This record gives sequence, structure tokens and C-alpha cells, in this order.
Amino acid sequence: MKRFLTPKALVGLGVIVAILLIAILAPLFIPDAAANKMNMAARLKGPALAHLLGTDQLGRDLLYRVMLGARTSLTIAGLAVGLSIIIGLPLGIISGYYRGHVDNVLMRLVDTLLSFPALLLALTISAMLGPNLQNTIIAIGIAFTPFLARIVRGEALRVVQMPYVEAARASGTNDLQMILRHILPNIMPQIIVQATISLAFAILAEAGLSFLGLGTQPPQSSWGLMIQASRDYLDVAPWTALVPGAAVALTVLGLNMFGDVLRDVLDPRVRG
Amino acid sequence: MSYLLNRLLSIVLTLFLISAITFGVTNILPGDVAMMIMGTQSNPEALEGLRHSLGLNDPLIVQYGRWIAGMFTGDWGQSLIFKAPILDLLGQKIKASALIVVMSMAIALAVAVPLGVWSAVHRDKWQDSVSSSAALLGVSLPDFFWGIMLILLFARTLGWLPSSGYADPGVDFGLAVEHAFLPSLALGLGLMAHLTRMTRSTMVGILGQEFIRVARAKGLAERTVIWRYGLANAIGPVMTIAGLQVGYLFGSIIVIETLFNYTGMGWLTYQALLNRDVPLIQATVFVIAAVVMLTNLLVDLLYLLVDPRIRLG
Repeated sequence: MKRFLTPKALVGLGVIVAILLIAILAPLFIPDAAANKMNMAARLKGPALAHLLGTDQLGRDLLYRVMLGARTSLTIAGLAVGLSIIIGLPLGIISGYYRGHVDNVLMRLVDTLLSFPALLLALTISAMLGPNLQNTIIAIGIAFTPFLARIVRGEALRVVQMPYVEAARASGTNDLQMILRHILPNIMPQIIVQATISLAFAILAEAGLSFLGLGTQPPQSSWGLMIQASRDYLDVAPWTALVPGAAVALTVLGLNMFGDVLRDVLDPRVRG
Repeated sequence: MSYLLNRLLSIVLTLFLISAITFGVTNILPGDVAMMIMGTQSNPEALEGLRHSLGLNDPLIVQYGRWIAGMFTGDWGQSLIFKAPILDLLGQKIKASALIVVMSMAIALAVAVPLGVWSAVHRDKWQDSVSSSAALLGVSLPDFFWGIMLILLFARTLGWLPSSGYADPGVDFGLAVEHAFLPSLALGLGLMAHLTRMTRSTMVGILGQEFIRVARAKGLAERTVIWRYGLANAIGPVMTIAGLQVGYLFGSIIVIETLFNYTGMGWLTYQALLNRDVPLIQATVFVIAAVVMLTNLLVDLLYLLVDPRIRLG
């Protein structure tokens, strides 16, 4: 525990908790109407008391929109990573546990999927399904699955060779019990580390998809969409890009800092 | 020799799987090529006629066979939005993207390797903190955000470089580099941050090893120990990681080329996806995945040349 309580971990955790609280609480205090309320008289205003982070090209309050964007971003990233775990975890465990032909076939498929850049795969799936919130989650989730399956498989292979697994097998434990009682608990730390790192990538991917118009759709608030909309007003209102950009950076930075420390503490190979 | 033969067989199998996945993803998911060509308001009979003439009513396996056969004979089909042969479009666009992929990799490696080494040599000192923090910030920002900031600074404010467009390197190389510079820098900054972190961690591992202590004990100059002994051993792993990042680069060029209106493969892929030009989506996605796979293979082979332990092992 002491190893975990580093300034880096605490800062990372603090940032994640703060953004999580904003994502949960902001919708309770900021009605959609207020965040979407257009005010052409106040368009592209700089940060001031009336609008702490300024306004966008439609006169909407950037603070409200960036806070609501946290909900969109974290929901999509969280559910997408969850989906990749739901598909990738059983695939990886089956591959690593049974080895042989099952492993060969599954990992050949996973390696092929890894040839597709994750963002390209996500964009293709999203474009073919039609861009909306639900399909963005599916697209990012599927695109991230091969990475997770590969890591889980490697960990399962490592654990399956441990003496305690041999001992359990000798005492007659069946495959399902073995996976649930011995394999899964022992690969959990690596899955948690990977999930944290994947969350950071998923937030970047969601921002990228929305920036290209193939992710979250207006009028929903999304950081990627906000940066996209700011492109035409960079000269006169650079804060319209800086505010959502900083929100993405801060969230991903928090997750990366936390993930780095988590990996150092939980991953035995790094711990050395 | 048997290693090479195995790898060649593996390439053929992987290319086949890549083609099957690409075809599957673009055909199983909803979307109607005939409606794309004729529009949503078209006559149902005319639509059915077009579907028949394009072979869209045939079983998927027959369509897939026709697609693959076309690839072998050089008939990759026509783009629905550009009304041009897909193979010609790919030829032009790959050249454009190759320039920014090479430039971004060069920019990233030129900064990341010395910075990573510097950080590892000064491990846990202020130099390490500064470099590691900058790298962490670098990997936390989306490429397109870097792109927007670069446009704001170098194109809009200083007016030094163009903010959009593409120039053919075959016609005017200087102009082509000028247009490719900002997109390459936007791609290179994220990559640079990632490679700095990787170079640092690889070098930290190597500098703690026995042979480095022996080199120091022999009284070799610190510069020789770090660059000739340390970096020489780190270059293989760093090169592998850089090679693996080509996949990341080919994902990012879609966003960056669109942002800079740089008409390369990424821009072409985006236009295909946005307009649901299915034949063009299939071709661009297949080519990008194949390029990424072949680059990874090339890196593996280079590693064999660089590291005798693997070659002889």
C-alpha cells in the first residue's frame, strides 16, 4: 500500500475522482436546456464572470458543455472498455488455458485484427453501423478487444504453469473451477492495469471519432465535437479549442499517471 | 531458411484473413451500395437492376471470390464518390501518406532517442522529471489537438507554413515538404512522447546491467559507455517499438490528414467512410492493414540483422 501512495498516484487518482464526480453530478445541476441554450448576442465571448470559460460559436456556455462532455466521454470510454473485457477476457483465458489448436486459431484471428489500427477499425465499424452514442461504444469496444485478449492470453499462459495450478489439477479440480478460482483471480491485477490504460486510449478514440463526425452526434456535448466546432474560430476564439482540449488532456493524464503507478505496484515483471 | 518460409506462409494466411475480415465487416453491417450510387429516392426496379448487374444479389462467398480475383488481376473496382479506378487513387494517395509517415517517424526518433537516453542517464533527477512529465503530457493529448495548436501558431499567427493542402513531391519536393511538415509534426509529437518513454525505460534496464558496470570499471569514458555500450543494446527494442507504432500512425493519419486537408490515404479513407463508398472502404482498409502487417514483418527481419543473439539463437 505504501508503494502505491506516491504523489503521482495521488494526483492521478485525484484528477480521476474529480472528473468522475463532475460527470456524475453535472447533469443533476446543469439542465440540458441550459447547456444547449443558444445566445447569439454572447457568441465567442472570452472567459469572464458571466461565462467562466467563455462561450462557443452559438453563445453556449463552455463550462457547462465541457462538464456535460465529461459524462459523454467517460460513459463511452467506460462501457467500451467493459465491452472489450466481456469479449476479450473469455477469449484470452480459453486461448491461454487450453493452448494447442484452440490457441492457434484464436490468436491467429487476434493477431490479424491487431494489423488493423484500432482507430481505423473503430471508424469503419462506426461508419457502417451509423454514428451514434451506442454504436461508438460498440465500435471502440470491438477495436480494443484484440489488445485485451492478447494480454489476458499471455497472463493465463503464465499462471497455468504455476505449481499451485498443477496441484489443483492433481486434486481433481475441473476446468471451470480452475479458471474461476485459480486463473482469473491471479490475472486480475494485470487486467485492472490494462483496463486503466485502455480507458485513457478510449477517451482519445472517442474524441477522435467525434472530431471526425463519426462518434457522438450534436446536440449531445462531447469534447471531440467541441474541438471540431472550434476549428473555424481559432483566430478569434482560441479558448473554444483550448477548453475541451485541456479537458481531454487532464482526464487522460490522470488515467495515465494512475495507470503507471498501478502497473509498477501490481505487475510483478515491472516490480522486479 | 525454414524461418523465412514459415513467415512467408504466415503472411499469405494473414493477408487472406485481413481480406476476409475487411470484406466481412463492410458486408455484414448495414449499407446498400446500389442505393449509394442511385440515391435514396430512386426507383425500386432500377435499384434491383443495378444490384443484379453489380452482382450484389449473389451469395457473399461469390462476391468475396470476385473481389479477391479482381485484386489479383488489377481490377480493384471503381470508387462510387470519385468515379475513378480505385487502384489509381490508391497509387496517388499512398505516395502522399508515405511522405508524412516517414517524416513524422524521423522527427519523433530524432528527438525521442536522445531525450530518452538523457532521461535514463539522469534517472530520478530533475532532468528525468522534466522529460518524463513532458512525455506523459505528450501521450495524453490527442493528435488532432496538437494539429490545431500547430495551425494556430505556425500557419495563422506566424504565417510560416501552409495550414492545408498537398503538393506532389515529384513536381516540387520543397513545396511538398512544406505542406507535409505541420501534419508530420502533429503526428510526430504524440509518437515522440511515446518513444521517449520507451527509450527511457529500455535504457534504464540496460544501464543497470553487469556489462555496463564492467565498462565503467575499465575506465571507459561515460560518453562511450552510454552511447556505444548502452544505446547500441537499446536500439533493437526501440526500433521494434517504433515499428509497432506504424499501426498507430496509420490510424492517426485519418484524423490528421482530414484536419490538414492533406489528400493522402487517411483523407481518402475518411472520404470513403463518410460517404459509405463500400468498394473504396474495402480497398483502403485492406491496404492499410496489409501495410501495417508487412511493416511489422520488416521490423522483425531488421531485428534479425541488428541483433546477432536472435539470428544465431
